[in-house]
Amino acid sequence: MTRQERRKRLAGLSFSEKIKILEKLRRRSLAIAASGLRRRRAGGVRNADENSRPA
Amino acid sequence: MKTTLEMINRMQGDGVIGEYAIGGAVGATFYLEPSATIDVAIFAMLPKAGSSSLLSLAPIYEYLKAHGCDADGEHVVIGEWPFQFLPPSDALEREALAEATETEIEGVKTRVMTAEHLVAIAVRTGRPKDHARILQFLEQDAVDTEKLNRVLAGHGLIAKWQQFKKKYGPDTND
Repeated sequence: MTRQERRKRLAGLSFSEKIKILEKLRRRSLAIAASGLRRRRAGGVRNADENSRPA
Repeated sequence: MKTTLEMINRMQGDGVIGEYAIGGAVGATFYLEPSATIDVAIFAMLPKAGSSSLLSLAPIYEYLKAHGCDADGEHVVIGEWPFQFLPPSDALEREALAEATETEIEGVKTRVMTAEHLVAIAVRTGRPKDHARILQFLEQDAVDTEKLNRVLAGHGLIAKWQQFKKKYGPDTND
């Protein structure tokens, strides 16, 4: 499956299924953050977008 | 997310917030492939504080605190997710809220901003991550360009849209 096909397939999932994927992505991000793997980046300049109003 | 949305619907039923719609990255996920996000942006009509014309988030915090939820900076943590409650700041966001699409997540009713309003808000906001999201909408053919043009024109965003198209090339032309 090409990247484009994979994206299309993911976009075609139901909202509930997509939300479950978002929850997995979020848990994974939190686990990576807790493991310290991002420590070097976290000590750097904070992305200005992080505190902005979402679109 | 199910219990979180049930809580938000209960808040609406109890009059703590008015009409609401999911926006931001989670709203965009309704139309696109899922992409990681740290929080959920809820655009909601908020009650005014007494006779003042100022909007107040205090009733939301008090209600949620009474129901065992925590506040974390600008977020309210309901279940697993940090939520940001945002009153509509202008006519575009008010229209986005009024015209949001009804849907369900795991059987719980909710509302999501339309793809065209999400793109128009991203055009107006104009940060790099907003531009990336607009490109995703265009690449995945997830917007009705006629409707998008109407929304952009209605809110004075045509010049910004032209700038965006000039920056990102001919593939963004409609």
